[in-house]
Amino acid sequence: MSAILKRSSRNFLWQHPWQLALAILGIALGVAVVIAIDLAMESSLKSFNQASQAMSGTATHRIIASDGGLDEKLYTGLRVERGIANLAPIVTGYVKLVQPGEDNFKLIGIDPFIEKSLHAGWQNGQSESFSRDLLTRLLSEPNSVLLSEKTAQQLHLQINDQFKVITDQGAQQLKLIGLFSVNDAVAEQISAKLIITDIATAQEVLGLFGRLSSIDIVIEPDDPGTLAAIQQSLPGSALLVSIDSQAESMREMTRAFAINLKALGLLSLLVGMFLIYNTMTFLVMQRRRLIGSLRLLGVTRQQIFKLVIGEALLLALIGTVVGILLGIALGQGLLYLISGTINAIYFRIDAATLMITPLQIGKGVLLGISATLLAVLPPAYEATQLSAVKVLARSQLELGSRRLIKTVGLISMLLIIGGLVTAWFSGQSITLGLASIFLILFGFGLLTPAITLLFTKLFERVFGLFLGILGRLPARMVAAEISRTGIAIAALMIAVSATIGMDLMIGSFRQTVAQWVHASLPADLYVSILGDKMTAEKALSDHQLKNEIAKLAGVQMLSSALHTKLIADDQLTKISVFELNEASKQGFIFKHQVADDLWARFDNQQSIIVTEPYAYHHAVKIGQKIRLKTDQGEQAFEVIAIYADYSGDQGHLAMSRQNYQRYWPDLGYSGIGVYAKAGTDLKQLESRINQLMTTQQTVKSNQDIYKASMEVFEQTFTITETLRWLSAAIAFVGVFSALMALQFERTRQLGILRAIGITSRQLTVLIISETGLMGLIAGLLAIPVGFIVAYVLIFVVYQRSFGWTMAFYFDAGVLYQGVALAFIAALLAGIFPAMKMAQTHPAEALRTE
Amino acid sequence: MTTDAAISIQKLNKSYQESGQQHAVFNDLQLDVKRGEFIVLLGRSGSGKSTFLNLLSGIDPPDSGKVIINNIDITGLSEHDRTLFRRHHIGFVFQSYNLIPTLTVAENLLLPLELIKRVSRKDHDHVEELLAKLKLSDRLDSYPDRLSGGEQQRVAIARALIHDPDVILADEPTGNLDLDTAEQVLELLDILVRKAGKTMIMATHSQEVIGKADRVLSIHNKTLQLR
Ligand SMILES: Nc1ncnc2c1ncn2[C@@H]1O[C@H](COP(=O)(O)OP(=O)(O)OP(=O)(O)O)[C@@H](O)[C@H]1O
Ligand SMILES: [Mg+2]
Repeated sequence: MSAILKRSSRNFLWQHPWQLALAILGIALGVAVVIAIDLAMESSLKSFNQASQAMSGTATHRIIASDGGLDEKLYTGLRVERGIANLAPIVTGYVKLVQPGEDNFKLIGIDPFIEKSLHAGWQNGQSESFSRDLLTRLLSEPNSVLLSEKTAQQLHLQINDQFKVITDQGAQQLKLIGLFSVNDAVAEQISAKLIITDIATAQEVLGLFGRLSSIDIVIEPDDPGTLAAIQQSLPGSALLVSIDSQAESMREMTRAFAINLKALGLLSLLVGMFLIYNTMTFLVMQRRRLIGSLRLLGVTRQQIFKLVIGEALLLALIGTVVGILLGIALGQGLLYLISGTINAIYFRIDAATLMITPLQIGKGVLLGISATLLAVLPPAYEATQLSAVKVLARSQLELGSRRLIKTVGLISMLLIIGGLVTAWFSGQSITLGLASIFLILFGFGLLTPAITLLFTKLFERVFGLFLGILGRLPARMVAAEISRTGIAIAALMIAVSATIGMDLMIGSFRQTVAQWVHASLPADLYVSILGDKMTAEKALSDHQLKNEIAKLAGVQMLSSALHTKLIADDQLTKISVFELNEASKQGFIFKHQVADDLWARFDNQQSIIVTEPYAYHHAVKIGQKIRLKTDQGEQAFEVIAIYADYSGDQGHLAMSRQNYQRYWPDLGYSGIGVYAKAGTDLKQLESRINQLMTTQQTVKSNQDIYKASMEVFEQTFTITETLRWLSAAIAFVGVFSALMALQFERTRQLGILRAIGITSRQLTVLIISETGLMGLIAGLLAIPVGFIVAYVLIFVVYQRSFGWTMAFYFDAGVLYQGVALAFIAALLAGIFPAMKMAQTHPAEALRTE
Repeated sequence: MTTDAAISIQKLNKSYQESGQQHAVFNDLQLDVKRGEFIVLLGRSGSGKSTFLNLLSGIDPPDSGKVIINNIDITGLSEHDRTLFRRHHIGFVFQSYNLIPTLTVAENLLLPLELIKRVSRKDHDHVEELLAKLKLSDRLDSYPDRLSGGEQQRVAIARALIHDPDVILADEPTGNLDLDTAEQVLELLDILVRKAGKTMIMATHSQEVIGKADRVLSIHNKTLQLR
């Protein structure tokens, strides 16, 4: 019995290859997007962790420092005076290869003869004698380095070849004296852009004389004494962190970013679920006669239910497998986007490879199958209700679904209200904020059929007035098959309103940022001074440059900034050190009323101002004190203001240069603002400044900086943009499949229209009008929903994710575009079914029932 | 070539291609139908009754041969022109699912009119009159699925007649109805079509109609035979 049932099911599926393919595509796309985001995000983070692990062996802790780096005496002090073992000094920096591609390489200087427990992965792979010999040469030969076998091959370098790199110190000649091999893929990725040398060479090449970047340490868990001893001997600029907590803080930093991305993936899956539901309903309804007959033959309800679920499972399985493969391919593409964004806003990721773990694949399988099963439950239940005696006509089924629509309308109101309440009471949680958006979207999605019925009444009246009965027909057709059209419109509406919501949000954000960038660029020209702040000469040359600029004709006054890091409340924290003039003080946008004496206090008291994201993430209030680590112990700085800053979502501190100089070493400047006298030719001034500068320094007009900043802004939204289009594409497939199913079901009706004398061209127009109408309804509905989504995004999710407040800027263009998007998508999706139906032979059409 | 006949069929051939095999339905079919004639078409299921009606209306093109209606050779027309011809000159009644489910009874009747001209107040009155004759005045604004099978078939007949076509083609119009209702529907067709002097060809299994027909034909061996 059940074998025959299965065969009948298989035959049926084969006879509807379109629907079959679309169902699989729906599942596959939803799963693919979710998996791709997950893989790309996790891989980006993991590559960071694994890179540090591959380099630090089994180190448990690390001494890190702000921009000044560590004095190498700290290392000898710890080893010799304190007698602490298991320490590995490290000097790192980036160099640019002169030859092919000008690729950036990470140069790592190590001490070759440290304890074996601190050997990096690549060291353990080599034979003892090989490495001993090679490492000795590293130490003894100047500028000698190692590369991985693969890298050397790619660069066409042989042992004993020389090659050139560019650093802050200018061009440097390096000599390849040996190759190391790695034995796993991850290590290979990491070592691909790596140059290994000894401490002394690294210091020389990078110009970091007497400094270290960090010190790796192995501390046994039962050895709190060592920990305390190290803590005690650390200078003000250094911090002891555990490797685990460092990895954790990376994850924490990107958490909001990751959650928001994953939400976009789930949006795709949600839209995909509508598609699956639609297809499975079609497959069940198409067989209502068959199922009726089966019931008559004694097939039980359970058997029917199992049959439908079984089919769905099969589709889910195929769709999921396809989705995973697709997801891996897509993930590869997203990886560059995501790691690029992380690079731009959070921290440097050197080499990200897609790492596919069973856990993530498992997640994809689970999601694909459970989403399918969830979407198929209603039609599966419906199938069991099909009676053996009374096979319902389509129109009667529609009656049932209209009743259902009313019930669902109630549920959807509850969902929407639930969503709004969640948004309101979600506290600090980003996840709840996003969940509220999903509730709202899903609620409106369920409400869509009911609203569609209202809309069709209106359109029918309006068009009927001018175009007679044929004009009324499209709206009637939408309303008559609401169980199909409603689903398609809902899927489209959700995708489009998400688009509108995000567009409004991004637009508001763009406006806010543009105003902020504009306001914070009061100077005419900005000199940017790159380079490592560790080198001692840098401060000197920076001051020299500043003095020379000040002396130039046409320069009225200067301001300066130094962007560095300090240890605030036991965390390495970014800080901007400002030397402000009257004009540059106007460049700050404060988030509250400020007193007149603010700047006096800023310059003269032990005070600090913080950015809005910093205040948000650290729950900092005005008047609160922040402890900063100095060489003379911790010092408390009072927070006297909170100001707008959109340059990063972790936030940072700012203090006056006077304050800074009291406790910390001079690191020169990161940038100098040049204010020209009225009437000065800026182009000329710019070229005169240019003549004073080295290659590390650039001068740009405030306009150029404004443009560059806005470009970075747009870049960070590339990924959002991409994902949004993916969910729109899935919605498109959904509408397409619904329309195909719809037209297929009405073949007979269309045949009668043709028999009465409706030409195939009229039929095409009729069907396209119908689909256009569906698109229009989806678009119109998407406007208010998109608005709500934008509100929640701006005032709940983004504020919580990143600590930024922004103003809501309304842009009517976004709304028109949204409606146009829905309309055009539906029209496009309708063209093929319309043509197919118009071309169907009327005699054929009349044969079907 | 001009003839007196309302419909003239000459050497009509039709076959279907099915899984690579040519399967002939008609061989050199020949028939002349006089204006106002009522022809009943009998034949076993699968003999080709529906196919014949579809060829007549131009819904299905023949492989060769001619179908001439009102001196127009519709087999020589393009698909588009055949459709336009159909909307002016032919009225259709099918066995079931005749009406457009998304249009009300009145709209179903107005649609053929709308296809050929601007619908006026007079046309609305005409529709109401016709429905009154069919005792369906109170169902004007009902959707077809609210009507019984017999009522639906009566509306279908009204729709076939509303635009005053020359030829009515009916494909088993009573096939889905019980005997009594079938009788009523046939009665109606007879009265309305006959009175209006229309030519009608009806495919049916029903014996009752035979008495009312001018000629009874049946499809046999891929041609038409008089009974
Ligand atoms: N599109 C088609 N493809 C293949 N064969 C067809 C097609 N349409 C009709 N036929 C065949 O042509 C023959 C005539 O079919 P038709 O529907 O005209 O019969 P009928 O006399 O109307 O039957 P019934 O009384 O059951 O309605 C049948 O054998 C049928 O299988
Ligand atoms: Mg037939």
